[in-house]
Amino acid sequence: MIASWLKNKIPGQMPPTGRWAHMAEPYDGDEVVVLDCETSVFDKRKGELLSLAAVRVRGNKIRLSEALDVTVKSNAPTDPNAVRVHYLRREDREEGVAPSEAIERMLDFIGNRPICGFYIEYDKAVLNRYIKDLYNFKLPNRFIEVSEIYVKKKNKYRPQEYLDLTFEGLARDLEVPVIERHTAIGDVISTALMYIKLTRE
Amino acid sequence: MTIQINLHQPPFSFLAQEQLDWLIQRLDLVFFHAGDVILNEGDQTPGLYIVYKGVVEETDQKSTKVYSQYANEDIFDVRAVLESRCRHKFTAIEETLCYLLKAEDFVHLLDESDDFSIYFKTDLGTQQSMVEQKDQSTSEFILSRVDDDVVRPPAYVSAQTNLARAAALMFDKKNDALLVRSGKDVGIVTGTDLLKATLIGDKNKQTRVVDIAQFNLIHVEYGDFLFNALLKMTQHQIERVVVRKDGEIIGLLELMDMLSAFSTHSHIIAMRINQATSMKQLVSASKRLEKLIETMHGQGAKSSALMELITTLNRRLIQRAFELIFPERMRSAVCILVLGSEGRGEQILKTDQDNAVILKDEHDREAVRPLLLQLHQALLDFGYPPCPGGVMFINDSWIHTVDEWQSRVARWLDSAKPENMMNMAIFMDAEPVCGNHELFKPVKQSWQGEDLRSSIVSSWFARQALQFDTPLTFLGNIREDHGKIDIKKGAIFPLVHGVRSLAFENAINECNTLERLKIMEEREILDQETAQGLRDALLFFIRIRLKQQLDREDMNRGLSQELDINKLRSVDRNMLRHGLHRVKKFKQLLTHHFHLENF
Repeated sequence: MIASWLKNKIPGQMPPTGRWAHMAEPYDGDEVVVLDCETSVFDKRKGELLSLAAVRVRGNKIRLSEALDVTVKSNAPTDPNAVRVHYLRREDREEGVAPSEAIERMLDFIGNRPICGFYIEYDKAVLNRYIKDLYNFKLPNRFIEVSEIYVKKKNKYRPQEYLDLTFEGLARDLEVPVIERHTAIGDVISTALMYIKLTRE
Repeated sequence: MTIQINLHQPPFSFLAQEQLDWLIQRLDLVFFHAGDVILNEGDQTPGLYIVYKGVVEETDQKSTKVYSQYANEDIFDVRAVLESRCRHKFTAIEETLCYLLKAEDFVHLLDESDDFSIYFKTDLGTQQSMVEQKDQSTSEFILSRVDDDVVRPPAYVSAQTNLARAAALMFDKKNDALLVRSGKDVGIVTGTDLLKATLIGDKNKQTRVVDIAQFNLIHVEYGDFLFNALLKMTQHQIERVVVRKDGEIIGLLELMDMLSAFSTHSHIIAMRINQATSMKQLVSASKRLEKLIETMHGQGAKSSALMELITTLNRRLIQRAFELIFPERMRSAVCILVLGSEGRGEQILKTDQDNAVILKDEHDREAVRPLLLQLHQALLDFGYPPCPGGVMFINDSWIHTVDEWQSRVARWLDSAKPENMMNMAIFMDAEPVCGNHELFKPVKQSWQGEDLRSSIVSSWFARQALQFDTPLTFLGNIREDHGKIDIKKGAIFPLVHGVRSLAFENAINECNTLERLKIMEEREILDQETAQGLRDALLFFIRIRLKQQLDREDMNRGLSQELDINKLRSVDRNMLRHGLHRVKKFKQLLTHHFHLENF
């Protein structure tokens, strides 16, 4: 019991097997996946997946033409506060795919590439919850936090400066257009641009 | 997918909705730092870049010469995709975001959509007419043709038919006109003719129809633009024309049939002008002209068609004013000339009045003067502002006898002074509009002599075309002043005057720039590509100028030559750049042809 509980807590201790085994292999390509989820409520334990978007970034190019952008069919009650953010009413979600299919497509999409995002801890937790239920493993990929690169970079040049670490704050400072904020795909594009700007100088 | 650029403008608006949907799925987004080289000379381009944010500069490989700049929603580099190799270097000069359409996807769309493909593979003129067509909102009238929808089959009677029988036939066939066969000739008789002949004239029911028929038929060709038919009706003050196909009469085209499809009522304005019996009525008819221009422009009428119609109507307006002011016996004592753009027939919105008078006899001068003052006042009332340079027949220097005009022209051409050359330029585009047209011929001959043309005068004359810079030099792109350019100085004047100089040198009788170019092409003074390119460019300049002039509220908006670059759609900006390049090249041609380097 305790052993398995411990195992759960230590990263890499629930490696993917079978179909997903390749996800644990070291990545030697030059792409990262930028990813974002919208959930029914902002709670990593209870929030149900409503939509999910991801793009592959290679060098300075965002591969929009191969983007993943799925809406999830979910019966979760619409949270009046959250819906003002993501605009996904129950009716909009009717057209969506089952959560299991969304997760499957996402796993195929990312493979063993590093995963990048803004406040990626949240997305990681939500996704792992679903993946653990479905396939009993956790994402073994390397995670990259955009705001962390930003803070490191800023502190290197101007250690004392007050930093606005909101999404909008980063976008403003990095002069990245905010595209349809709080649609998963819009946030993904903006985040991908932040990543490109921060890493390619 | 979230695409942040407007794809509902040319060239993408040529795509069908599903093609557009497909395209949206195929776009990638690429980021460049300021200074990043996007494409090098000789590179194979991954595809077509559409600028979302930022600025990209096109230069030669050493960055010494700048060809162009691309900003929001501009597209580059079509040639590199089609020729699979890039000829210039493209550099981001600001941080730049571009959408990238992969080469193979672009080629796929070219295969899928004819319009899209034609747009990219053709010259400026075709691009422009496609955009003009795409711009149309409501009526297709101006582009519709004389076809079976509007043509009525003809009803024939023989020459011997009597009027009573003719009237019965008209009533039977619900036709207001019958064609009359008399030997090989064909004439026409209308309901109005019957009424006039019997009720007003002395004819009776037994009169033969041939006695009242009219035999000089006005015709249009089957397949011609309806617009041309309308023009003919306006010119000849008639309400129907005969339609011919391969030399045979196939039917009649009635004004009423056309009017039902025509909402702008230009013919009605023409009627009002003709029927006006007081200056007040004429002024109110002239006020409608401006409205007509707005409507027709809104309906997507071509600039060339619009110019032709407005010129015809404006001249009728002046003619009618002339008839109202000048007593019959005085009419042949003068010849009224319109000059400049009005003379060339290139005016749409009214500009300052440029006009002159040829007197038949010097001793009429005092008798004519008060009449001319009245005519001048009428023109002011019609909305022609006075000419700031005083080029008006109310001034002594613009009213002369034939002899005086001839020696005046000789004096102009004798001195190399720019102001005299400009006087010559404006006078050379003269067109007689009312009075005694015969007086103009000997005057016109005074600048068409062989000896003059071969002399250095041609060069003096042509040099004026170079007095303003083409607004292009700055970075090879449109050189704007706070987002504006002077479209007349920068583009229209050099083009028009350059063509005028060549017309001067070759004694071309026409005044209209498009006509002049056509003759130059026929006589191989200019090659086909240059002539066509200049025609396209001129029509384009006139179109975008008109568009912005119509947006203005002021009284004399026709005088505004200011073009706001920021208000142009990206496709128009591109075409403007193209057009300006043509003008620049034409100026080089003139410099070379007239040896202007030595001045």
